[in-house]
Amino acid sequence: MKGSTIRNSILTFISFLLIVVLWKIASIMVGSEIIIPSPESTIYGLVSIVSSENFLQIILETIIRVLEAFLVSCIAGIVVGLITGFSKTINALFKPFLVVMMSTPVISFILLALIWFKTEQIPVFVAFLVIFPIISVNVSEGIKNIDFKLVQMAKAYRVKGIRILTEIYLPSITSYLVAGISTAVGIGWKVVVTAEVLSQPRYAVGTSMETAKAYLETSTVFAWTIIAILLSFLFEKLIRLVEARIFKWR
Amino acid sequence: MSLTIQNLSKSFGNLTVFKDFNLEIPEGQITCILGPSGCGKTTLLNVIGGLETPDSGKLEGFENKVISHVFQEPRLIRWKTVWDNIDFVIKDTYPREQRNVLITKYLEMVGLKDFKDYYPDKLSGGMLQRTAIARAFVYPADLLIMDEPFKGLDLKLKISVMEAFVKIWQADKRTVVFVTHDIDETLFLGDEIYVLSSLPAQIRKKYSNQVSREDRKFRDSRNFEAEGKFFELITN
Repeated sequence: MKGSTIRNSILTFISFLLIVVLWKIASIMVGSEIIIPSPESTIYGLVSIVSSENFLQIILETIIRVLEAFLVSCIAGIVVGLITGFSKTINALFKPFLVVMMSTPVISFILLALIWFKTEQIPVFVAFLVIFPIISVNVSEGIKNIDFKLVQMAKAYRVKGIRILTEIYLPSITSYLVAGISTAVGIGWKVVVTAEVLSQPRYAVGTSMETAKAYLETSTVFAWTIIAILLSFLFEKLIRLVEARIFKWR
Repeated sequence: MSLTIQNLSKSFGNLTVFKDFNLEIPEGQITCILGPSGCGKTTLLNVIGGLETPDSGKLEGFENKVISHVFQEPRLIRWKTVWDNIDFVIKDTYPREQRNVLITKYLEMVGLKDFKDYYPDKLSGGMLQRTAIARAFVYPADLLIMDEPFKGLDLKLKISVMEAFVKIWQADKRTVVFVTHDIDETLFLGDEIYVLSSLPAQIRKKYSNQVSREDRKFRDSRNFEAEGKFFELITN
């Protein structure tokens, strides 16, 4: 077990190194810092971003937007998921909305939001429209997949209703909810940053990327991209940690 | 003392499963109901267990009986350990101290004491079914109903699970109603044996197992004659 983990880490490192080498070769061949900046100048850009005065505020505000979108999506998604999971009629009513939401291009949401809302609200609103249906559908699936044989077993043993709810129903739904959040987290990050690029809130990773692009500072665009990837990666790790705690039994 | 079912009738739509069906279940013994698939065995258990209401008929002696179940599948909760799965059914019945003593006792009997902290996903089919049996016995039931609990286990496992069951049963000899389509299981476990016909189900034969429990062996050659008769009854 341990040996294979070390082996995987080594392989990950090699693959990471390979990306950097290919990147360096490409930047030498193209020979233009504006089109493909070298890894060194990107690292330099990274250092100057991190040491700049507003860095913390910029990433903090983007993180808060992502969290806000998640919180609102989770609350609404769980409520709608529960209702649609238990009632076939309401499910039939809601389904077209969810299908439309899931198949609408993200850019359409962003463009409409640009017309409708203030800049600060746009990324959260757009991320909500993307994350909410994923959570809702997952919770609803969770309810449909509750093992009613377990419920029958509990009833046969005269287990109290409240314990059937908390010890059978809720844990069954939780696994689907966490799966939904897990899927949504990567998408959520990308959507928030994309919406920031177009809506230009004052402090935002997306805004900083757009500004760097406007000044043709490609190395800074690369550097912000790396920061966005790292943040998304950290979020995902955090969710995996929570997942591992909840699903010890797997 | 016996538990009796009198003139039981039960239909599902056009399908008549029981019509004026009578059965007697002696207390303190293992009663086996043997019959082909789809002959209403599970329906009978569900009626006895109160999971299904009969259209008409009388069940006598079942009032105030506490019943526990072993189902065809183990029906264990995947996110609970072996221990917690058993604890789940008696949490409201006993204080913690007593539960600990009881669960330890029955886990020891089914040979799973060392696996108490395992989750179901990590156990074999036989271990899962033994956990379900321990759960059924931990529950303070007067009557145990078992629906083909050894189905799907390979021969070696089946024997080990059945032996665990007999051992645990002998400790306090509770009333057991056991349903199966396997003649070997019936002759190994059953004291009173009923052979059911196809639908609407009737008792085709009642048979009292004369071989003492100590002398019974699974797939015993001495049972061949009885086995042949049963086989004829079931296949005809």
